[in-house]
Amino acid sequence: MNIIVCVKQIPDPETPSSSFKVDEAAKKVIPAQGIAPVVNPFDPQATEAALRLNEADGGGKVTVISLGAESARDAIKHALAMGADEGVLLNDPSFDGIDNFQTAVALAKAIQKVGEFDLILMGRSAADWDMGVVPSGVGQLLGVPVVSVAKAIEKNGGSVKVERVLDDGFQTVEAPLPAIVSVSNEFGEPRYPQLRQIMLAAKKTVQIWSAADIGLGAEETGAANRWLPLEALYVPKVESNVEIIEGDSPEEKARNLAQKLRAAKLI
Amino acid sequence: MDFEPTEGQRQLRLQARALAARFDDAYWRQCDAGHTFPWDFYQAFAEAGWLGIAIPPEHGGAGLGITEASILLEEVAASGAAMNGATALHLTIFGLNPVVRHGSDDLKRRVLPEAAAGRLHVAFGVTEPTAGSDTPSITTFAHRDGDNFRIRGQKVWTSKAKESSKVLLLARTTPLADSPRRTEGMTLFLANLDPNHVTIREIDKLGRHAVDSNEVFYDDLPVEARDVVGEVGRGFYHLLDGLNPERILIAAEALGTGRAALRKAVAYAKERVVFGRPIGQNQGIQFPLADSYAKLQTVELLIRKAGWLYDNGQPCGAEANMAKYLAAEWGFEAADRALQVHGGFGYAREFDVERYWREVRVMKIAPITQEMILNYLGQHELGLPRSY
Repeated sequence: MNIIVCVKQIPDPETPSSSFKVDEAAKKVIPAQGIAPVVNPFDPQATEAALRLNEADGGGKVTVISLGAESARDAIKHALAMGADEGVLLNDPSFDGIDNFQTAVALAKAIQKVGEFDLILMGRSAADWDMGVVPSGVGQLLGVPVVSVAKAIEKNGGSVKVERVLDDGFQTVEAPLPAIVSVSNEFGEPRYPQLRQIMLAAKKTVQIWSAADIGLGAEETGAANRWLPLEALYVPKVESNVEIIEGDSPEEKARNLAQKLRAAKLI
Repeated sequence: MDFEPTEGQRQLRLQARALAARFDDAYWRQCDAGHTFPWDFYQAFAEAGWLGIAIPPEHGGAGLGITEASILLEEVAASGAAMNGATALHLTIFGLNPVVRHGSDDLKRRVLPEAAAGRLHVAFGVTEPTAGSDTPSITTFAHRDGDNFRIRGQKVWTSKAKESSKVLLLARTTPLADSPRRTEGMTLFLANLDPNHVTIREIDKLGRHAVDSNEVFYDDLPVEARDVVGEVGRGFYHLLDGLNPERILIAAEALGTGRAALRKAVAYAKERVVFGRPIGQNQGIQFPLADSYAKLQTVELLIRKAGWLYDNGQPCGAEANMAKYLAAEWGFEAADRALQVHGGFGYAREFDVERYWREVRVMKIAPITQEMILNYLGQHELGLPRSY
């Protein structure tokens, strides 16, 4: 199959809270000093799914697309080191500050430029904004079915059988190809890139496409044209108070605690 | 002059960091407290082909240089794995250097692919209780037994002997008194650690508890002639080829451990509020950390230079020694400062900096003492008379 995998580079979710800062005036996250961005943790699972599907199918091609800063090339190289074939970085100054819907538009245009595809795989969401809407957006724009939050994917002739994760169990659905599937962490551990493949991937060229290269008009991109205007961005203040519940016996302490919680309408 | 790492080196660093990050401080704390070898960590790196980083491709390795190996080990140490993680890997990386350089084709074929795949563990036996820095004084002796040898003697500080099936062993084949030069008459063997002829006794030590260090007693251990590495009588010289890469890698590990400590200290200094402000706002806390940052950045440059010289076939004795000397000094200093910044909590196991501190301390002693490096620099770089 011709599979396209979309990956994203995000700030390291392990960044200590003391290093996480936002510029409230510019409504932007300030990159943490000395902490390199990482691949969105769900995305290697999408790459893994692509590789496994093509291995089971006896061949195929995996193209990786990322939209982001120059450094997002590393997220693509990670997928190449895992075994993907080609990489494209969508990089343009006008992409700075765009929202998820604009991202979906840009990705859909880039996918159309890549041309033929049987399946598009993405992580279930990006661990920075955690909205999980891009797969549906791209599906809507390309007019292909979308199956979200997959834990298992199997090719079945001209369709894919997908086991989806639900709050209270699993659901198996089938979608005709071409389709989009977003992959969840339940899919299983992605493979470790092999050292030799890391070195081979390092030598591969990642194509860079600008907004103009994918035919994106000025009105379709840029923070000023967001579909979802950002009103405010701030780090919430977390305040905590400690109160010691007194009582002569454990039972009395428990009773006093229960009364407090009831008074505070917590139970 | 180009300070930019290659794209391969950059990607290798990112991937080593990502793989090492799968094993967190809690994992290492547990390995250290339980004195258990980090098998899961070791297997993860073995399966992804990292152990063969410096082994030639024709023998199953990646054929990269000491520069790349130093980046790997720095990242492993910097992940918080410190010496427990680095030592678990580095013995395969630099320990086999004499085999790569001087071993027969037969020996390389038998040993290197297995080592690169992580299936063969090799310990390193050179130091003796009465011959540390003065290697030519070793007394472990390999007697001729027909075409083969039998080795008798005692080694100390043999790391990972309990997990290893083979040992790269230096023994005298000509007594010191009969050798034309002190550095001649020693032979390097890749011997089997046969429990019928070998007794291993673990040394209780300050740190790096996940990887054992041992006294090893050899009682007429039989070794076949085909397991001689290089030439009989030239073992010391074969070993010398591996010493500079070892120093460069050890320096990278001290750098990485220093960086792990500094990272913890900076995070704590930002979070810990005393007298109404984060302690990192005080110059008494901030300046030592800034000073350590500058020193660790500086020693990285020296490590890169030493690695570049080695990989390009140029003499690198002074640079490798200076890199190890400064990385050990400044890596330990960073760990010590990190411990101090944490106050009482620095002394507690759960904050990890005490583990880094214990582990990086050994770099000032091994594989060569700081004092012996100063001797080397005084004598060979400054032209001063030999002081010992």
